Amino acid sequence: MARRICYAKDMTALLEARDLTKHYGRTVALDGVSFDVGEGVTALLGPNGAGKSTAMKLFLGLIQPTSGTASILGEEPYRSVDVRSRIGYMPEHESLPKSMTASEFLMHMAQVSGIPPGQARTRAADALRHVGLDEERYRPMGEYSTGMKQRVKLAQAIVHDPVLALLDEPTAGLDPEGRLEMLSLISRTANAFGISVMISTHLMGDVERTADSVIVLESGTLAQQGAVAKLTEETETLLIEVADRLEEFAAALAGRGVQARGNGPLLVVEQAREDDYDLIRDAAVESGARLRRLSPERRDLTDIFRSRPE
Amino acid sequence: MIEQDAEVFDLGYQRYTGPREGRNRARLALFENGVRTVLGIGRGGRAKILPALLFFAVMIPAVVFVIILSFVGEAGEGFIPGPADYYGVVGVVLIIFSAIMAPELLGPDRRDNVLPLYLVRPLTSTDYILARFLAFFAIALALVYAGQLVLQVGLILTADSQIDYIRDNWGDALRILFVGVLVALFISIAPMAVAAFTTRRAYAAAFVIAVWLLSTSVTNSPLVTENCTIQTTDSQGNVTSFEMTVAPGTEDRPTEGVVREGGRTITTECSRPTGDWAPYIGLLDAGSVTDNISVMVFDTEPEGPSMVAVDELHNAWAIGAYLAFTGLPALLLWNRYRRIRL
Repeated sequence: MARRICYAKDMTALLEARDLTKHYGRTVALDGVSFDVGEGVTALLGPNGAGKSTAMKLFLGLIQPTSGTASILGEEPYRSVDVRSRIGYMPEHESLPKSMTASEFLMHMAQVSGIPPGQARTRAADALRHVGLDEERYRPMGEYSTGMKQRVKLAQAIVHDPVLALLDEPTAGLDPEGRLEMLSLISRTANAFGISVMISTHLMGDVERTADSVIVLESGTLAQQGAVAKLTEETETLLIEVADRLEEFAAALAGRGVQARGNGPLLVVEQAREDDYDLIRDAAVESGARLRRLSPERRDLTDIFRSRPE
Repeated sequence: MIEQDAEVFDLGYQRYTGPREGRNRARLALFENGVRTVLGIGRGGRAKILPALLFFAVMIPAVVFVIILSFVGEAGEGFIPGPADYYGVVGVVLIIFSAIMAPELLGPDRRDNVLPLYLVRPLTSTDYILARFLAFFAIALALVYAGQLVLQVGLILTADSQIDYIRDNWGDALRILFVGVLVALFISIAPMAVAAFTTRRAYAAAFVIAVWLLSTSVTNSPLVTENCTIQTTDSQGNVTSFEMTVAPGTEDRPTEGVVREGGRTITTECSRPTGDWAPYIGLLDAGSVTDNISVMVFDTEPEGPSMVAVDELHNAWAIGAYLAFTGLPALLLWNRYRRIRL
């Protein structure tokens, strides 16, 4: 992510969950979760049934929390109807009226968000252009492909220029190409349009491609939270791969006091220090081993899941 | 020389800085969209066929009345259909219209799962259902008034003196408008409530029409009619008897009692199986709920068995029946959307 947004420290978070709990009968969908969401793209990551959609619906005021609070732009959406004119929502499931055209629907939805008819027409045309829907906009939406429907769903979530758009599983059901297009549209929404976005997803790749920060939910509890860059930053572990003479090389390393353990064809140096690079170079020269790779290990989000204690 | 290609400039995303009118704009948008949906505006030719057909069906009674008027003229005093008669006749056509069109308005939003998109906007579920209902009510009212307008124009044109007719009848204008509102409210609210419980148009329409038929059949059922036994004993002492059912308001209802003429004795006894309950049972006749009110407002004679039966009761009962027939469905409708799970 090339872009970095700086916020003032005292700025209120766009979304705030405080001990947020939601029960459906005996099922606990969310169990005392607390987190803040700021500007940019935030991903709500977790397997199916982790409570992602429930959290979104609570922030949108579609359902009421059992206890705790979910606030959006500083207000509780279940109580304050007006705050909802500044929020966009893209639901996971199909939600477009089949007999309406995208053009008419977008204009209608802009008005339902409080925008007068004249401006609603312009906004609708703009939003459809931004998601790349051209002539199809005048056809009934019942005839659309999954990809086109997803785009209209995104368009209706931003047609009224919200401060924040909540997108529930925006890449669900898309083929690989459609998925990449959707992810780039989401990045554009945040970077070029300046609309902050929260996406929910169960796909690590979606997070790595779009998100600035991530909130990991599992079984209704908060498992991890932080900036994606931080979570995937370089570690202090060095990976070394040589083309030949592995044993001589290892012996030369040991002779120089560098602790390396074998891991298949690799040698792994934990807690590497700055001057270890020079020592490794010297060991390679001494043993005559050809160095093929020398790199710090970089964590990815998959490891974060794996390394977490059960 | 380098050839310059045409270039398309992307103006980029424009932030919206115009007015945001919030909840009221949202309500209005839902209302307008509701009217368009029912009338099939912006929905292609096929969606307009049904509303157009039903519109003509509602107009037919008014047109037939005008045709009768043009033949009979003012000469047929007492026979000329008036504004109250129109509301009485058109009721069944209107209820069919509502039964078919109400699911058309509420069904797609739930079937296509559009409700969540509405309810995350500056709207409550009460705003939603109220706006949708008012859209439907507005169309029903327009239909009722349109038919009445045709009839009034016919009445004025066929009168011997247009000026005199208008002078004599202008006092009815408010009554016509008032009863029109009551009729439109009555025929729109129950079908909307039924449509709120199923996304299948056919089921909703069939249910409304079935309940209507069942309810109107109360009129001629043994629950309201009287059983009269007429027994004749001749001079030889031979007894013959026959029975007949008499609906309330029947003009040639046999007089009860004993009559002796010649050597014969005629004994007539009438009884209602439901006794004094009959007028209350008559209140269940959906077909005459608005007619009962209309009789009060226009100060005319009740026509039809259940109306005559209900006429025995205090006016408050008829008003109560109207409120029940509109209030209960309204509560059901509101509650259904208030508790909808998303």
